[in-house]
Amino acid sequence: MAKKEHENNDEFRPNGTIAILVIFVITTILIWGTIYMILISRGSTI
Amino acid sequence: MKQYQLSTGEKKFIGSHLLVAILALSVGSLFGPLQAFEHAGWDIYPYIKPLIKSYYQGLTVHGVLNALVWTTFFIMGFLTFNVMFGLKRPLKNPTLNKVGFWLMVVGVVAAAIPILANQATVLFTFYPPLKANWAFYLGLTLVVVGSWVEGWGLFMTYFAWRKENPKELTPFIAFASLVTALLWQICTIGVATEILTMLLPWSLGLIAGVDPQLARTYFWFTGHPLVYFWILPAYISWYAMLPKQAGNGKMFSDSLARLSFWIFLVLSTPLGFHHQYVDPGIPPVWKFIHSMLTFSVFFPSMMTAFTVIASLEHAGRKNGGKGTFAWIGKLNWSDPSVAAQLLAGILFFFGGIGGLANASYNVNLVLHNTAFIPGHFHLTVATAVTLSFMGISYWLLPYLTGKKLWMPKLAVAQAWIWFVGMIIFSNAMHVLGLLGAPRRVPLGLAPYVPPEWNSRLFQVGVGGAILFVSGACYLTVMLMTALSKETVKEEVEVPVAESMQDLALTPVWLDRWAPWIYGALALIVLVYGPVLFDLIKNIALTSPGFRVW
Amino acid sequence: MSAQPMHIHPYERNWMVFSAVMLVLFATAVSVAAFGMGIQVPAPEQRVDPRIVATDPNSPWSNPGLREVSPGKYDAYILAHAIPVWEYLPKEITVPAGSSVSFYVTSSDVQHGFKIQDTNANFMVIPGQVSKLTIKFNKPGTYNYICTEYCGSGHGIMYGAIIVTP
Ligand code: HEM
Ligand SMILES: [Cu+2]
Ligand SMILES: [Cu+2]
Repeated sequence: MAKKEHENNDEFRPNGTIAILVIFVITTILIWGTIYMILISRGSTI
Repeated sequence: MKQYQLSTGEKKFIGSHLLVAILALSVGSLFGPLQAFEHAGWDIYPYIKPLIKSYYQGLTVHGVLNALVWTTFFIMGFLTFNVMFGLKRPLKNPTLNKVGFWLMVVGVVAAAIPILANQATVLFTFYPPLKANWAFYLGLTLVVVGSWVEGWGLFMTYFAWRKENPKELTPFIAFASLVTALLWQICTIGVATEILTMLLPWSLGLIAGVDPQLARTYFWFTGHPLVYFWILPAYISWYAMLPKQAGNGKMFSDSLARLSFWIFLVLSTPLGFHHQYVDPGIPPVWKFIHSMLTFSVFFPSMMTAFTVIASLEHAGRKNGGKGTFAWIGKLNWSDPSVAAQLLAGILFFFGGIGGLANASYNVNLVLHNTAFIPGHFHLTVATAVTLSFMGISYWLLPYLTGKKLWMPKLAVAQAWIWFVGMIIFSNAMHVLGLLGAPRRVPLGLAPYVPPEWNSRLFQVGVGGAILFVSGACYLTVMLMTALSKETVKEEVEVPVAESMQDLALTPVWLDRWAPWIYGALALIVLVYGPVLFDLIKNIALTSPGFRVW
Repeated sequence: MSAQPMHIHPYERNWMVFSAVMLVLFATAVSVAAFGMGIQVPAPEQRVDPRIVATDPNSPWSNPGLREVSPGKYDAYILAHAIPVWEYLPKEITVPAGSSVSFYVTSSDVQHGFKIQDTNANFMVIPGQVSKLTIKFNKPGTYNYICTEYCGSGHGIMYGAIIVTP
């Protein structure tokens, strides 16, 4: 982790953040996909 | 190092915003549980008839006081605080800000009178040709104008600061607050036009009719960016304050935080048609364009998620947290302000997912005006925003009054109770919506409710009861703190996280206003211009008013 | 402040690219449904004068109901109103399974909604405008159409039904 004042953030590796965001993305795809499938199963409107 | 201090008068001014906001929330939120109970079949409205005539009069109070008054007053107070504290200087023209504040107060009173007299039971969207008493429209206008005037006061303060500090980077909390205030100025042009050119003259009898499709289009010009006006102050706190409170963490990326605020400014207005996907009067090609822009504005929220979580991870690891997730437990969960905002943030994930579904063009056919929608926005405005604001008030009220927070343990519990109640309530509402239940309907009485909905309607009631308890705890803590005799020993510290990045690395173009403002206006003209031009050219003021409540 | 290009942490850069890809995928799925499968949102159909739309003898909504345009294809003219009472006219429509019905819905007073349960028909009904979508009913059964926009105190009782016979 950056110790010196006025450093870049490069040395900090937020691995937990990536893990949380991956879970978020998977949840998003699942929920969004479920609703999308409802739409598709109901068919055309024109 | 001693922090910059607000004067007593300045603290009073911010505090009066907080006072009106919390009063509005107390009255407004009272009706939420009543609505939830009605859904579950426990109808209390017959007993309050002398005061509130109907479910819909209550729903109008709920929507207007919570979504419009609580938010706007809290936000204007918080933004004003951030500008003064961030720029380390008093307002350039405090009288102007006071005028703005009082205009808003007068506006709220003017709108409240017809609402309470059952003369404006038009819900907080006031779609014409439902016709409210003119005082309702006038009141709303004054609230908007008042917020403009307060915004001008903030911009003048910024100009004065800029003159004194020509080379300096605008401190983040002031910068982000100014962008939020500017976004509000731009987007409220829609609703101001709606009221001033149609609704107000119509309610005064100066014109005979209105064009409902055009009115909706003006309304949603403001309606979508309105949700950014609500959430951006919460983002400011999550970005720049929460990491500090959660464990002395630093803000992960100053540049990207600024960039996302600019993207919000540019992109949050030109996509209002995503609320009008199923309106008959707007060509689908324009709806599609707005849907693509909506996907784009999801992007800065993804950036926000990264920066905020990474800053929190920084705090958690500083507190000795290890592992992929274990650092989460090391955040200062015992601080009510932290607990409230973290829980608000967690539910915002699900609010974001629901929002993405709503915004996905034809997917809206499954969800439009179903119970899914209130399910969604009780995660966003009623939790991500409201619970965060509650969390902010847990340090802001002690800061402003010099009083010690009353029973911090109860305040922590309050946040958790809200979290649990909201999960039960909002999950049930989402599912009901997917099953086809409409919103804005007293479902306890609707004739077409199939038995499959009943267990979910019951959960709505249970969630509402839990939320009621949480709301009562919040008010108690606020009230007892304000009345308490126990003062803080030292000045309450305002939590502001440092940047992990050297601020000297923040690119200069992120502190330039003109290009972004021109960009925002150009995009609005581009994607709203043709449709609005057409609607205005073919305007048909053929709808007289109706009072059917 | 710096005149250098912006510095972005590699994790964050990857996350931004990934987010963008995900949003493009969603946008693609939506476009396929809209332009490939014909799941579309309402388009401007025609404008009417709400003050006379229910009474003018030349207006189809003065005599709302079902018209067969060709075998298995129907036009349904539906009027939504809050005055004198909250209801749709007609209250009930019967079609055989396999029918394709184009709904033309308008209002003679305030805004309403129109949502046929378990189908993709779900749209606003706005005075002065005509909302149209076409739905194919394959499965026999009763499909309620309900009002989905607040239209006054009777909003919650406003509904009708499509009966699809085998
Ligand atoms: C105390 C907890 C709360 C409960 C139990 C609750 C419950 C409800 C329910 C059941 C509805 C749906 C009514 C319907 O569609 O017929 C509703 C609508 C709404 N709520 Fe809440 N609510 C609460 C707090 C809040 C808060 C804090 C906010 C905003 C800051 C809020 C904003 C809204 C809005 C804007 C609507 C829509 C009103 C409309 O459709 O016109 N609610 N609420
Ligand atoms: Cu929106
Ligand atoms: Cu209706």
